[in-house]
Amino acid sequence: MAVIRFDLPDLGEGLTEAEIVEWHVSPGDRVVSGQPLVSVETDKAVVEIPSPYSGTVKALNAEPGQQIAVGAPLVDLETDQRADQGQIVGDLGGSEAEAPEKAEGKAEEHPALPVTGPVRAVPAARALAREKGIDLETVAGTGPDGTITRADVEALAGAENRAGWEPFSASRKAMARNMAEAGAQVVPATVQDLADVSSWIDGQADVLVRLVRAMGAAASAEPALNAWFDPGAMSRMTHEMVNLGIAVDTQTGLYVPVLQDVGSLGPEQVRAELDRLIAAARTQRLGRQDQLGATVSLSDFGPLGGTFASLVVRPPQVAILGAGRVSERVAWGKNGAEQRRYLPLSLTFDHRAVTGGEAARFLNAVLHDLEQPG
Amino acid sequence: MAELTLVEAVRTALSKALEEDPAVLVLGEDVGIDGGVFRATDGLWQHFGSARVRDTPLSEGAIAGISVGLAAQGMKPVAEIQFQGFIHATLDQMANHAARLRNRTRGRLTCPMVLRAPYGGGVHAPEHHSESIEAIFAHIPGLRVVIPSSPARAYGLLLSAIRDPDPVLFFEPKRLYRAFKEDVTLDGTGLPLDKAFILREGRDVSVISWGAVTRDCLEAADVMAEEGVDAEVIDVATLKPYDAATLLASVRKTGRCVIVHEAPRTAGFGAEIAARVAEEALEALVAPLRRVTPPDIVPPLPRQEQLYLPSKDDICTALREVMTWR
Amino acid sequence: MTDMAKDRMQAAARAAEFTISFTRYLSADGTLAGAAPDFASDRTELVRLYDGMLRTRAFDTEAIALQRTGRLGTYASSLGQEAVAIGIASAMRADDVLVPSFREHGAQIWRGVRMEELLLYWGGDERGSDFSGPREDFPVCVPVGTQYCHGVGIGLAFSLRQEDRCAVVVGGDGSTSRGDFHEAMNMAGVWKVPAVFVVNNNQWAISVPRAAQTAAKTLAQKAIGAGIPGEQVDGCDVIAVRDAVERALQRGRSGEGATLIECLTYRLSDHTTSDDATRYREDAEVSSHWPEEPIARLRTHLTAAHGWSRDEEEALRKEISEAVRGASESYLQIAPQPATAIFDYTYAELPADLKAARQVLADR
Repeated sequence: MAVIRFDLPDLGEGLTEAEIVEWHVSPGDRVVSGQPLVSVETDKAVVEIPSPYSGTVKALNAEPGQQIAVGAPLVDLETDQRADQGQIVGDLGGSEAEAPEKAEGKAEEHPALPVTGPVRAVPAARALAREKGIDLETVAGTGPDGTITRADVEALAGAENRAGWEPFSASRKAMARNMAEAGAQVVPATVQDLADVSSWIDGQADVLVRLVRAMGAAASAEPALNAWFDPGAMSRMTHEMVNLGIAVDTQTGLYVPVLQDVGSLGPEQVRAELDRLIAAARTQRLGRQDQLGATVSLSDFGPLGGTFASLVVRPPQVAILGAGRVSERVAWGKNGAEQRRYLPLSLTFDHRAVTGGEAARFLNAVLHDLEQPG
Repeated sequence: MAELTLVEAVRTALSKALEEDPAVLVLGEDVGIDGGVFRATDGLWQHFGSARVRDTPLSEGAIAGISVGLAAQGMKPVAEIQFQGFIHATLDQMANHAARLRNRTRGRLTCPMVLRAPYGGGVHAPEHHSESIEAIFAHIPGLRVVIPSSPARAYGLLLSAIRDPDPVLFFEPKRLYRAFKEDVTLDGTGLPLDKAFILREGRDVSVISWGAVTRDCLEAADVMAEEGVDAEVIDVATLKPYDAATLLASVRKTGRCVIVHEAPRTAGFGAEIAARVAEEALEALVAPLRRVTPPDIVPPLPRQEQLYLPSKDDICTALREVMTWR
Repeated sequence: MTDMAKDRMQAAARAAEFTISFTRYLSADGTLAGAAPDFASDRTELVRLYDGMLRTRAFDTEAIALQRTGRLGTYASSLGQEAVAIGIASAMRADDVLVPSFREHGAQIWRGVRMEELLLYWGGDERGSDFSGPREDFPVCVPVGTQYCHGVGIGLAFSLRQEDRCAVVVGGDGSTSRGDFHEAMNMAGVWKVPAVFVVNNNQWAISVPRAAQTAAKTLAQKAIGAGIPGEQVDGCDVIAVRDAVERALQRGRSGEGATLIECLTYRLSDHTTSDDATRYREDAEVSSHWPEEPIARLRTHLTAAHGWSRDEEEALRKEISEAVRGASESYLQIAPQPATAIFDYTYAELPADLKAARQVLADR
């Protein structure tokens, strides 16, 4: 268990400090994630700050009436579990944690041990976990000092032994967890359209590369969808760079490797990097670095099938574009009925952070780029 | 078949050995007419005569040394050292000669001798009369170290020790000499010298021990049974070479291991068993290993002896502790 | 003086009388005393003794040479003490048992241990103690003084089986300070064990001279404490040594028990090849003892009293030289033991753990 120092978060709107009005918890209290810890007053209003984690309050670091700056120590929490590491969909190992801040010296009962260190588990627990393919990092230890006991692993493994039930692989479990988390937070809305790609689509056309380019162009036109949203701080960070998460379907599950800084890559580079990432995903050799930091995502599901879709936005991102199967349709043109080819697009966005107008502008920009002959 | 105490079983085995093999000799201080200070050789001198049941002058080193010479000549000396506290003087002869004679002559000369000694504490004896230094002897290659914990096992193991072609140290827990009687089949059958004995089968925890304290382990197991804990109690019996297979199989079954011995903690023989379990049954362990032993102190004189020896309660405490691990 | 005082003095005087005899027949100048035993007049016998001592010294020289050239381990020379070994061995029967210390090469060779076997032992190979000849003799004993008890046990076995064999145990002056020495003699005395204890007093226990080893005037008198007879002989006089041992063996065989014989010699060499005696004793002292050495005096006597010729001398030396060289070459060519031999003799039957470890080695 780690003791984490939770500082006064950025309350947004350019505010740099706040005054403690009232504590809602005391040292020793157990809190759950989201539970209000304290009310603070800013220039504008009294704001409640929720707990970022479940755990036990260890210490309050400010007095009522005290003015503290953003980033100053607010409260020390001892968490039950490892802090959420913000796993991307389908990530087997979990990305690099935005590591919890190291606890103060007083939190360390065992001076020689690091606060975050290797998982403690009895040998039988390790053996069982290895046998069942359970990642010990996902097991909560109930033994002394949080040591994982065999019973802890058995509890997880127990489900596997029921007849007719196929236990999920680690990657499917991760997907289930991540989707549940997204579903609990995001408020999704989807806007759809058809891009007329008749001018360039043929058997050899590299649709995915064009989509990547189009995403880059749209992000420049409407940065609001290339952003991260922090609901706790009620703030948004738009990005200069477009780090595009690309959904890749493999036999072992769904992975979303990230194409970094799309705007700086030419089409050949895009293709080469896509090939590398897709191959790595398919052979389960995707590194943690390759799955970090997506600012917006793309799912080209057309080759698999489907036209339009409502996709899942993964926090802290606010948008994901889906491209369906190219279809031939009849359209009414200047000269009457014409055969056109269309690439269907679905843009799902988090309506907590993105307006309909921003979404529409983004989608239009995508369309505009896709409808260019080259 | 007869109901015998442990010391009676020793005497009966000695008698049997003297009878069946003319090469067997009993020697030591006061083993003749006096029958040994614990009466372990009582009556043997009267029956077999002073050539074969021989009082020696006072000299533990020489008792061991002449046994080496006798054994090299094909005799089977069964020498008694009056108390474990005096056995240190035999280390020179046992380590430098008895243990090595076969090896250093490539088998040309051998040393089929037995050195017997009362062992361990708990009888309110004077100083130096309560030692347990089995670990020191168990450390020496080429020796066997055998510790019976019941009359039947004393009978069978001693017969095998005498018949064994290699030097054997046979330590008799004096606390058990007269503690209880047991039916012993007196047909001269020896017990194997390379097997541990499972005294009580169980599912939840392996209690590994030897000597007098095995009785406390059995009592502790009974107490724990009422708390819903099913303990397996094993008597290692032959410490060197020991039956690792039985011990490891037990730990793999139960996942918990508590080692109990009367000798002081550091570098006691329990350390060897703990190391072996960690080497070959680590992944079975649900709980940390535990050793129940006296601390690293000189055994106290009788007035405080009870503070020193591992008790049934100490063993129960350790068992409860490992049972908290699930 | 009162009557009571006189009585007390008399009693005290009676309780304290012992003598230790010293015997020499063959002097350093080669003259033989008239009282010498019969075999001392037998040319054949004397030549045998001479051969034994020459052979011992030749082997010794070769062993040192092998050690200095890195082909033998640390070795303990018996230079100047050959008469002790040959005197003992020539007195023993084949079915007696020798329990040596580490300087009785001459006795071992006389009794049938092959020179190659001795070289194997000192060269660091256990097969050297697996004597093809005297199967019951004990190997070299390194922990000084621990061998005396072995001899007592062996002798006790003989008397229990009513065999008229004897155990002969040899140790150095240093070993007589050890408890084991006294304990063994004590047991041998009280049980009348057929054992002969021979102390090769070569005046030095590594760097400790005899005078610093014990206050006792002689080492032989330590037998008194055990209730057995003790005597001194000139250890450079092979005839005296043999005679004393023969008499002691006779005592043992006839049920009279054990004897201690102290042989006075001088250690003309270093303690072992790892020792540098110049660190603690003067060359002049060593030189002063050379005239006493056993081989020269016997040769002088053989020449003077029995016409030992130069041709005979050369022929003997040649034969010995060839035998020693042959043994040396043989030794150098013996194939090493298989690796698994390190396990094989630990117990009569290897226990499970050792079997497994042996297999691991075998598989490598």
